[in-house]
Amino acid sequence: MAGAFDFVPAIAALPLLAFVVSLFAGQYMPKRGAEAGILATAGSLVLSIWTALTVAGITGSATSYNENLYTWVAGVADGAVTLRLGVLVDPLTALMLVIVSLIALLVHVFSLGYMNDEGETGLPRYYAGLGLFTASMLAFVFSNNLLMAFMFFELVGLCSYLLIGFWFREDGPPSAAKKAFLVTRFGDYFFLIGVVGVFATFGTGLFAPITEGGTVVAESFPQMAEHALEDGESFFGYSAQTWITILGMLVLGGVVGKSAQFPLHTWLPDAMEGPTPVSALIHAATMVAAGVYLVARMYGFYLLSPTALAVIALIGGFTALFAATMGVVKQELKQVLAYSTISQYGYMMLALGSGGYVAAVFHLTTHAIFKALLFLGAGSVIIAMHHNENMWDMGGLKDRMPVTYWTFLSGSLALAGIVPFAGFWSKDEVLFEALIHGFGSTGTLGTMFLVAYAMGLLAVFFTGFYTFRMVYLTFHGDARTDVARDPEPVGWNVKGPLSVLGIGAATVGLINMKPIADLTGLHIDFLHKWLLGPEEGGWPALTSTGLHHYEELMHNVAGIDPAYPLGETTTLLVSALVSLSLALAGVLVARSLYNEPEPVEHTDKLGGAKTLLMHNYYQDEYQVWLAQGVTVPLARAADKFDQGVVDGVVNGISSVSLFTGSRFRRIQSGVVTNYAALMTLSLVLLLVVFVVLGGGV
Amino acid sequence: MAIQTQYFLLLSAAVFCIGVYGILTRRNALVFLMSVELMLNAANINLVAFSFHHGNLTGQVFSLFTMALAAAEVAIGIGIVLVLYRNFEDIDVTKAATMRW
Amino acid sequence: MVVDIAGFQVADWVALVPSLILGVTAMLLFIVDSIEPRPGTSSNTVLAGLSTLGALGAFLVAGYFLVLGVGQPRGTGAVDLFNGQLVVDGMSLFFVVIVGSVTALVTLASYDYLEGQEYQAEYYGLVIMAATGMSLMASANSLATIFVSLELSSLPSYALVAFLKKNRGSVEGGLKYLLVGALSSSVLVYGISLVYAASGSLQLNAVADALAGGSSVPVGILGVGIIMVLLGFAFKTASVPFHFWAPEAYEGAPAPVSAFLSSASKAAGFVVAFRVFLTAFPEVGGLAGGDPMVDWVTAVTVLAVVTMTVGNFAAATQEKVKRMLAYSSVGHAGYALIGLAALNAPDQGFVLGASMMHLLVYGFMNTGAFLFIALTEHWGIGRTFQDFNGLSTQAPLACAAMTVFLFSLAGLPIGGGFISKLYLLAATAQAGSWLLGAALIVNSALSLFYYSRVVKAMWIEDPSADLEVDSYPSSLYAAVVIAAFVTFALLPAFGLLSPSAFDAASVLFG
Repeated sequence: MAGAFDFVPAIAALPLLAFVVSLFAGQYMPKRGAEAGILATAGSLVLSIWTALTVAGITGSATSYNENLYTWVAGVADGAVTLRLGVLVDPLTALMLVIVSLIALLVHVFSLGYMNDEGETGLPRYYAGLGLFTASMLAFVFSNNLLMAFMFFELVGLCSYLLIGFWFREDGPPSAAKKAFLVTRFGDYFFLIGVVGVFATFGTGLFAPITEGGTVVAESFPQMAEHALEDGESFFGYSAQTWITILGMLVLGGVVGKSAQFPLHTWLPDAMEGPTPVSALIHAATMVAAGVYLVARMYGFYLLSPTALAVIALIGGFTALFAATMGVVKQELKQVLAYSTISQYGYMMLALGSGGYVAAVFHLTTHAIFKALLFLGAGSVIIAMHHNENMWDMGGLKDRMPVTYWTFLSGSLALAGIVPFAGFWSKDEVLFEALIHGFGSTGTLGTMFLVAYAMGLLAVFFTGFYTFRMVYLTFHGDARTDVARDPEPVGWNVKGPLSVLGIGAATVGLINMKPIADLTGLHIDFLHKWLLGPEEGGWPALTSTGLHHYEELMHNVAGIDPAYPLGETTTLLVSALVSLSLALAGVLVARSLYNEPEPVEHTDKLGGAKTLLMHNYYQDEYQVWLAQGVTVPLARAADKFDQGVVDGVVNGISSVSLFTGSRFRRIQSGVVTNYAALMTLSLVLLLVVFVVLGGGV
Repeated sequence: MAIQTQYFLLLSAAVFCIGVYGILTRRNALVFLMSVELMLNAANINLVAFSFHHGNLTGQVFSLFTMALAAAEVAIGIGIVLVLYRNFEDIDVTKAATMRW
Repeated sequence: MVVDIAGFQVADWVALVPSLILGVTAMLLFIVDSIEPRPGTSSNTVLAGLSTLGALGAFLVAGYFLVLGVGQPRGTGAVDLFNGQLVVDGMSLFFVVIVGSVTALVTLASYDYLEGQEYQAEYYGLVIMAATGMSLMASANSLATIFVSLELSSLPSYALVAFLKKNRGSVEGGLKYLLVGALSSSVLVYGISLVYAASGSLQLNAVADALAGGSSVPVGILGVGIIMVLLGFAFKTASVPFHFWAPEAYEGAPAPVSAFLSSASKAAGFVVAFRVFLTAFPEVGGLAGGDPMVDWVTAVTVLAVVTMTVGNFAAATQEKVKRMLAYSSVGHAGYALIGLAALNAPDQGFVLGASMMHLLVYGFMNTGAFLFIALTEHWGIGRTFQDFNGLSTQAPLACAAMTVFLFSLAGLPIGGGFISKLYLLAATAQAGSWLLGAALIVNSALSLFYYSRVVKAMWIEDPSADLEVDSYPSSLYAAVVIAAFVTFALLPAFGLLSPSAFDAASVLFG
């Protein structure tokens, strides 16, 4: 009987079909291709849920799946690399599939309100882009090897480029699209080298081993790396540990670019030039998550390198704080959300780096829900405000658009990390894991974790502040413009997705209420169990992507152990209380500054720091300087070398050839007597060389 | 007693070289063709002499073919020399040198 | 003597039918012309049709024989005729295929080219007569028959080059061809006389037997003879140093004649060279092991490298397209010489077969290129590269065909020339002859430069104001397009034909 796993490829194939249909037939459809996208993503969602149920063991016996489906480059010689496309389904995949297809569906519906109702043109192109993006993202999620993942990683990047630049006739979007493309490409360049490196080292890019009837037929590269580490092998003159770190860092280049981590985060705020539903889908909930997802996907590999983990944790912690401070001074709704996104992905990286695998996946899940919600809410506000995004022109929208307000508030509470909204549970767990692992791990690694934890903790305050500054400026007080006094109403297709996500943002944290579980002894940490799997056998034994395996590696290889300075329960509670009170402090400060009928800017109080923050720490400036001041002269020098030396040699050869040719043709004097003479001469020459000297006579 | 064959070789080589010399020095197309005839006949000397030396008739018979073909060649040659004269008003082979390099 | 062809017991001369068809066609042409009441009034259509049919017949029968296995080990085995004076084997049939196909294309194209010219019957008669000589060269197995058939192909060629009696270029080309040819044939026949002196025989197998004796062989006489014979064939194949006639003859001759000479005549010269050196002189050259008495393999290697280099380098600096093609034809002779030069390879059949395949592909692509020139001459377009500027705006189909020819000649994978060059390169690699391999690569790279000049002129440059093509001669066009199609089709179909070439070549190595 065909089970859910046989239909996994269809999860990506449906949106791909929608892409084709929208592209070629979209203009003949009443909704310009949205129908195809909605149907396809709904189908994907159903299939994803079915897959998740199967993984949970509810609708079938097999709970994981890993098969190669298509070989597109077959290695002929022994030991040659074979390149394949395949599907890997385990709980992580299933969870991510559900998230992506759910949000894709909601965004498609929302687009009806944001794009169709606003009378945009070029909609088939828009929906084709969304369809291709969804297909690529879903295929990326279930990729079973690194190269396939890389290919779809690039495809989502391409879709991002196309959709950011959707309004290509305006000035901003094309340039933002180019920036997004180039900056992420810079990171992907390292990723590509990493992919090649992994294939060259291990001969395979499989994330998880393929088994047939209990025996392993194809090993995965994290496992091979693990064995190599145990056996003390060395690669290319490096010890296994060093080489794994190098490969991990190369792949991390792509992760940092895609998940907008410092220092490659600069493209994401600019990407807000794209349509807001695109921002919600691509630049908040899913594509940006691809980087983090990739680290989680090959977590067994990263755990082999404590150095890489420390780097990930530090990048994460720093980005969380750094982006949050920039979010504090932004005036435009979507800019605040963009920096908030960067900051939140920093938390996920922090969690992954400090051994909080479950926490990272948890935060990925909750963030996808509440950030998509916030972006869609912002989109709703933007519709109402006739595409004016400046928060200082809003105010008082609370009463005029209650659905948007309440859902937005739900998302904001989640983002700020206020109990019991989703963000509280996940962010708390991220910080808690960083804390206990910081105390428990030996040597510098522990210190690094604690530093990263401190930055993450500080960011909680800023998060609470900028989130509620945004809420108060947008929805509270008096309307500051005419448009805000009489906003355009939004339809069901906007309110529907907002409601779904609003409820989600309030409740999705319930899937893993670890503090409550620990306090009460109730086994309600569902996500933890989901990722843990059964103790013996089951999918963790087949795929070795289970939490047990990761915990072993953490303990044995990376030397990461938990430690509770105040006892287990107390530490948990104190950690939760500290982060909650910091978040509340942020909210209260924002309330005191901005919750008044006529709020004024307080940024001047920051003095010089304001300029610094407004200019985003001059990140763009220094990167532009890097490009123009360093790269361009370097490229000029290379060009000089190419033009001068390389071309010189080439030109030299060709002019020598032509000169030789012009000499050779002079032999042909046109006078037949000369020909006869030359013929006789060469005859004599040949006779002398080959008969006389050749020993004939 | 028969003449030793190497003398025939010497003779034929001498005739051949005279032919080559004629080709290299004379500009008249007809003399050019005559020089070629000399070279061909040098070959004929060899063929006949070595036919005798080897005691078979192959060479002698082949020399007859050679003569016939030489005659045919000259026939064509004279035809071309004729059109050469019509086009260039001369049968100097070095005059026809419009195409070169 | 009786042989078994396709299950029929027939007289052995039946194997010679392809050559006989050509000979009979030539006679028929004379008859057709002579029964016309007034001289020179025979119908162009009849003459061209008859010639094309004859050439096509020879081509088809030879090809059919090749398929049936006539003359090959899997069929009748080599058919010896007239006490071994002629032989019909795989190689001879293979080259009759080349000669027949080229002749058919040339006579087809000549129909338009000769429109309004005098002496058409003589033209076709001479072409078919020369083709008869070439097809006999493929079968000739004795130095005597070789010389006779070689002259049978040469003498009509002289007249054909000088066919445009009132055109100074044509006459000059004919004169030079004649004079160089006369000198060359006397060198050849003198070389033959010396080989006869050393071996006492003219039949190739008998020569080989006589020379296998060893100590009693007068090596000096033999060496001079072999070198002179080699140079005699160098004339026919337009190889350095006896190539001097080629640029002028090809440039001056009517373009279809240039096509005929540079493709069919060259191939015939090569088949004779292959047969003589591999049947009569393998042991002398040390191919059977042991030290060579006369190291003709090295001599050919030198000639091959020099021929490639001179041809291509001189072609690179030409201003006229036709003359460029003439030099490129010299360069290709150098490539084909690899078949005799890279013989220290373990698989000699592969080396020779690669060379044969190159000649086959070359037969189509080079004929096509020259027929394209015939087309431009028909239109009255000038001869330089600039005159071809923007030609594609007027005649895109012909220009596309020409592009296929040129790129295939250069060795790009757009036609069979790519694979044949690849095989030649593989042959040099097998022989470990880095000199030949490097020369092949360098010259091919250079050739791409000058071939693409034509392509650039046709497709990229802007046409001059007065460029106008007023007619589209159907038979010329047909010939060009067929040649282009075959050139292109030989890319995928190469593997269908190459086994017969390799088989035919392997037989010569016992």
